[in-house]
Amino acid sequence: MSKDDEYDYLFKVVLIGDSGVGKSNLLSRFTRNEFNLDSKSTIGVEFATRTIQVDGKTIKAQIWDTAGQERYRAITSAYYRGAVGALLVYDIAKVSSYENVNRWLKELRDHADSNIQIMLVGNKSDLKHLRAVSTEEAKNFAAENGLTFIETSALDSSNVEPAFQKILTEIYRVVSNNALKAGESAGAPKVNAGTTITLNNAVDTSKKPSGGCC
Amino acid sequence: MLVSVAELNSKAIRFKKFEALLEQPIVDMDQLKKLSWMGVPEEIRHTVWKLLMGYLPTNSTLREKILAQKRGEYDDYVQQQFSDEGKAGLDQALVHQIHIDILRTNSNIPLYQSTVIQESLERILYIWAIRHPASGYVQGINDLATPFYQVFLQSCVSDDVERTDVSLISKETLNQVEADTYWCLTRLLDGIQDNYTHAQPGIQRQIVRMKELINRIDGQLYAHFQKEGVEFIQFAFRWMNCLLMRELPLKSTIRMWDSYQAEGIEALSEFHLYVCAAFLVKWSAELKKMEFQDIIQFLQAAPTASWGDRDIELLLSEAFMWKALFGSSPQHLKNNNPNQ
Repeated sequence: MSKDDEYDYLFKVVLIGDSGVGKSNLLSRFTRNEFNLDSKSTIGVEFATRTIQVDGKTIKAQIWDTAGQERYRAITSAYYRGAVGALLVYDIAKVSSYENVNRWLKELRDHADSNIQIMLVGNKSDLKHLRAVSTEEAKNFAAENGLTFIETSALDSSNVEPAFQKILTEIYRVVSNNALKAGESAGAPKVNAGTTITLNNAVDTSKKPSGGCC
Repeated sequence: MLVSVAELNSKAIRFKKFEALLEQPIVDMDQLKKLSWMGVPEEIRHTVWKLLMGYLPTNSTLREKILAQKRGEYDDYVQQQFSDEGKAGLDQALVHQIHIDILRTNSNIPLYQSTVIQESLERILYIWAIRHPASGYVQGINDLATPFYQVFLQSCVSDDVERTDVSLISKETLNQVEADTYWCLTRLLDGIQDNYTHAQPGIQRQIVRMKELINRIDGQLYAHFQKEGVEFIQFAFRWMNCLLMRELPLKSTIRMWDSYQAEGIEALSEFHLYVCAAFLVKWSAELKKMEFQDIIQFLQAAPTASWGDRDIELLLSEAFMWKALFGSSPQHLKNNNPNQ
């Protein structure tokens, strides 16, 4: 088994959004460079990781992919706790998945840490002829709600890498800022493997090195 | 694969025993269950399953009548919902959810790529959902419909149903398979409905019990999971929600359901708990060497692609053993400390 635990930061990120918008394929594209048109529906929660570099630091993203169907909300919302980032995904060809973004934001407000970084992701940008949500509209909505915004295609892989890079970089900035403010004594991020970062207290020292963060 | 003469003989003997049982005017269900536990021959599986599910009456003289009645009843439901007038009243969000799930159901098996089969499965799920509003359609129930569908359809074709030419099957036959699947799925779900109601309490309970069971069966593995921060819900939720179907090849599930039905459909979740425990303990040696993320990723994609009936039978007998050991004394499994 791989032991790639040489990292400076471990960030927990969740993927949320309506059923069928392509959350699982975004994740498999980012973590394994795979896309599967017929991938099975996600039941409950699934998990994958990938390590990237930001500002010379090694950041490990622990990404939890959630089932989109309403019935699973009670199960999946438990995974928001401790998440420092969320990708809220809709399908640019399906208006209802965009209209539901507000409901998903409320889910996050109710269950996630208040400082969670949220990125609005319009997926399936390859479906140009079926587009039902304009880029402008989603961009404006994101700006009004303080979210970052990007359009992606897990199928042709456009913008998938930048999307994850961007949110992980943002999380890193917030965390390092918090750490600066908090001062060294209050537990600024140290370069040691397995430090789980939460935004409320820059370093969560209660977690053991190798364990999960939820 | 080489099959020994002895094996062929014992298969033939078993088949004869089944035949003798099924020919009785009133089928001895205890005998049928006993025999089915060890696996049901494919040629007669459709009839045996319908009996075990309580869909066909044990009294052979009543069977034709009951079957016609049930199939007629289902046809009425279909007419109400899917006739030209009825279609306008369909719940579009539900139709969509079921449709996108059926498109990605068993996508590795040609049978399920057929539009005719997909539409048939969609009708079953839609009708079940609107007639069971307490839970409604929940993702994963789509998987549970397919073993019935496949077994019943297999009895109507001469080649392997997974790659059969659907266009050669008559509409009437398909309608019957659809109706029979609907009723057997309904029976199955009746016993586990609280797996699918709000917050899915049935599954939550099962997971707590499984955790306790593992603590007793394999304390080292339990301790290792504790140390690594692995929560049972992180991997076992899907095992309960889809009855391990996502973990196993469909043909293995079908073999497994011979024994599940023989255990008694009322006892299904009870027995399934022990099967899940056996399934986890199977990988104990590997898992104990892994860290959190490797454990979760391993269990999300357990290496069962090449499993055959023998692997399933081993799993089932282990589960049977655990159940005999711990099941008769439920006190052993009582949760004294809910926070444990």
